[in-house]
Parts: sequence; C-alpha cells; structure tokens
Amino acid sequence: MSRAVPAGVVAAVRRSVSQVCDPEYPEVTIAELGILEGVSSSDCGSTVRIELVPTMLGCPALDVIARDVTDAARRACAGADVSIEVTFVDDPVWTPDRIAPSAVGFLAREYSVAVRSRSAAASCPICGNDALEHRSDFGPTPCRSVEWCPSCRNPIEVVGRVDLPAAMGAAPASPAAMGAAQASPALA
Amino acid sequence: MTDSVPEVMEGAREMVLALADDELCIGQNLAWWIAVGPFLEEDLALTSISQDELGHARALYGLLGDDVDALAYGRQAHEYRSAHLTELPCRDWGETLVRHFLYDTAETVRWAALADSSWEALGAVARRALAEERSHLRHASGLLSRLLRTEAGRSQLLPLFDQFTPLACELFELPPGCSHEALLADGVMDRSLSDQRAEWQSAVDDAVASAGYQPQWPADGATTASASGRAGQRSAHFAALHAEMVEVLSLDPTARW
Ligand SMILES: [Zn+2]
Repeated sequence: MSRAVPAGVVAAVRRSVSQVCDPEYPEVTIAELGILEGVSSSDCGSTVRIELVPTMLGCPALDVIARDVTDAARRACAGADVSIEVTFVDDPVWTPDRIAPSAVGFLAREYSVAVRSRSAAASCPICGNDALEHRSDFGPTPCRSVEWCPSCRNPIEVVGRVDLPAAMGAAPASPAAMGAAQASPALA
Repeated sequence: MTDSVPEVMEGAREMVLALADDELCIGQNLAWWIAVGPFLEEDLALTSISQDELGHARALYGLLGDDVDALAYGRQAHEYRSAHLTELPCRDWGETLVRHFLYDTAETVRWAALADSSWEALGAVARRALAEERSHLRHASGLLSRLLRTEAGRSQLLPLFDQFTPLACELFELPPGCSHEALLADGVMDRSLSDQRAEWQSAVDDAVASAGYQPQWPADGATTASASGRAGQRSAHFAALHAEMVEVLSLDPTARW
C-alpha cells in the first residue's frame, strides 16, 4: 500500500526549493528564472517529485542546481518519511519569457544583462536604448548571446539566442508527449 | 511507441546510442578550441557549441539509462557507435569549420526526422535540440559563405569537402541490429535515411555552389564500407579522445564537480 505524502510536506518542499538560487546569479531564485516547473507528490508511494526545466540542454550548472534543489527539499522534509525525486524535463521548453519581470529588472540593474523575450525586445540595461545590434549568438555561457548598443557603445550580454524562443514556440508538443514527458537525465 | 514490439525498441535504442556517441565525440573535439580559437567571438562560439553538443549527448544517453556517465565514459572502445567524422581531431580551424558545417547541417536534418517520433521522449529531445541547432548552423554557414568569397578561403576550405564528405555520409548510417524498415514503420523516424541524406547533400551542394564547386558524393548505398564506426570499429583518433574524456575519472573514480 502506498503512503501519500502529507500536503503540508509538499508545500514545505515547494517553499524551500523556490528559494534556491541560480549558481550564475546568486541573488535570483530558480523560481524567478522559470527553471522550477513544479513540485508534486508522486502517484506511486511517498515521493515528492520536483520538475526542473533546463535553460539549455548543455548548461553546465544543471548538476549544481539539481544538487542544491535536492538539499533544499531534504531540509524541508526533515523528519518526514519521504523520498525526493529531482528531474529535468524536456517539456515544456525553457524560454526567456519564463523569467519573472522582477528578475529581468534585477539582472539589468545589477548585472547589466538584458533579457530577450517574445513579449518584449531586449533593451540596453545601461542606457535604455531598445535598438540593440546583434553581434554573436554565442556569449560567455550557452544561454547568453552578445549584442552591441550603438547609443552608449557597450557590448551587451543578452539572455537567450536570437531564434530560441520563436523556434521553440513553433514546435508544438503533442498532448501525448506532454503527458509522457520523461526525465532526461535522471539525477539523484 | 508500441512497447509491445521489443525488437523495434532495441533498434531505436541502438540508433540513439549512435547519435549520442556522435554528439559526445564532436562535443569533446570542439572543446579543444577553448582559449585557442582564432578570435575571441569564435572561441566563445565553439565553446558554447561544444557545451550544447555535450548536452545533447547527455539528453540522449539519459533516454537509455540513469547512469549517464557510465554510458558516456564507461564502455569499451568497440562498444561505441560514433561516426568516424566526429572522432577527427580537426586541430586546423578550417578543418573544424568544414566538419562543423557538415555535421550541424546533418544534425538539423536528423533531428527534424525525429521531432515527431513515436518514441515521445526522443521526440521531445529532438525538438529541444533542433531549436539549439539553428544557431549552430547559422554560425557555420555564415562563416563559410563569407570565407568562400575569398580566394584564400576557397583554396583552403573546398578540398576539405572532398576529404570529409565520404566520412560524413556515415552520419546517416545505422548500427548493425537496427532495422531501418522497422524504425520507419513504427514511426520512430518520419523519413528514410536515404531521404535524409539526400536533403543534407542538397543543402551542402547549395552552400558551396556559389564558389562554383560540386562535392564528389559517394553513391547511395556505397557508404557501408565507411560505416565501420557504427559497427564498433574505432578510428585511430578515438583512443586519445577517449583518454582525454576520462582523464579525471581515471585519476579519481569518485570525483564530483
Ligand atoms: Zn546602451
């Protein structure tokens, strides 16, 4: 017989993992960056399942994030007899649109990093000019590209490659695929 | 995918292993350019592309088992299925560019053929990877088309096409034990490998046509001789590449980041 996880424990885990910060931007949480997809009790037995959405498949921070999330979840359910399952899912796909507006503002202010999204053009985090010129799809990390601000003459890092959000949005996932989204890879 | 047909599943897993091994080898080879790229933007680009390809390898190995590291690093040489093109060191930047162009053009075709796969988890990885692939291809095509406008570019790069294209055809070969017919019939891929290869060849032809060049393609079906990588035979470059991959792991099998 499977034991259900008490709702209070799930809520505590959700609260705790929501506060986990990104290794690259240690003041910004994975919830604000849209990396945290969901926290739920698993159908089979006493497991809390945490789903994460990788920014890029090759993001080298994935292991660190999974470890921090696991630690935070374990802390939150100390004493409760539950196991923790942390998985990266391929569906939905992360896009910069998943970043919370508050985090977009913070990244611009504190890191001079702009965010490209479908809903808004990236504007210069230094001078506010919104006519940035594309320079390279590839910046200091796989999820950042490089633009140039002709107004204040600074190179600007932008979260998101030019065609990532549109290309991903154009790839419809079948409802069956959404339901069967599998972890890849499973991380302990 | 119909789980009731275990031999189809087994064939699909063999195919995914080959794709993952391609990504692993090319990702590791591209990582060589970290800090020694010919110019800063190129250094960053090759580094990012390397990380993307290794990420694709990880996602594909993840479809096959939970212990991704054991799959990626822990097999015997004859158990790898990589195409020999991906094992080439390409320490000359022109070689890297031509190989990168051939490979990423091929990958774009391959991922598209898997995007609606009946193996739904594979389809999800393919759609995800395809989106990342577009920027790789734009990078390779952009540099190639600019360089082919110069005499120096043409004289250095075009001969490499004839050198690499026979090897690159192996990217559209399956490992032994995969039934191409079964993979198609079961919807694991939505178009045949010869159609995929034709689509890729025509994209490559288009890219070099402006330079008045026509690559010499091996006849369709004549590539089985070159498909030795898929069959488990490693090229002369694999041992050094693999040693580099597992260098830390062999010093300390318990090492963690
Ligand atoms: Zn500016």
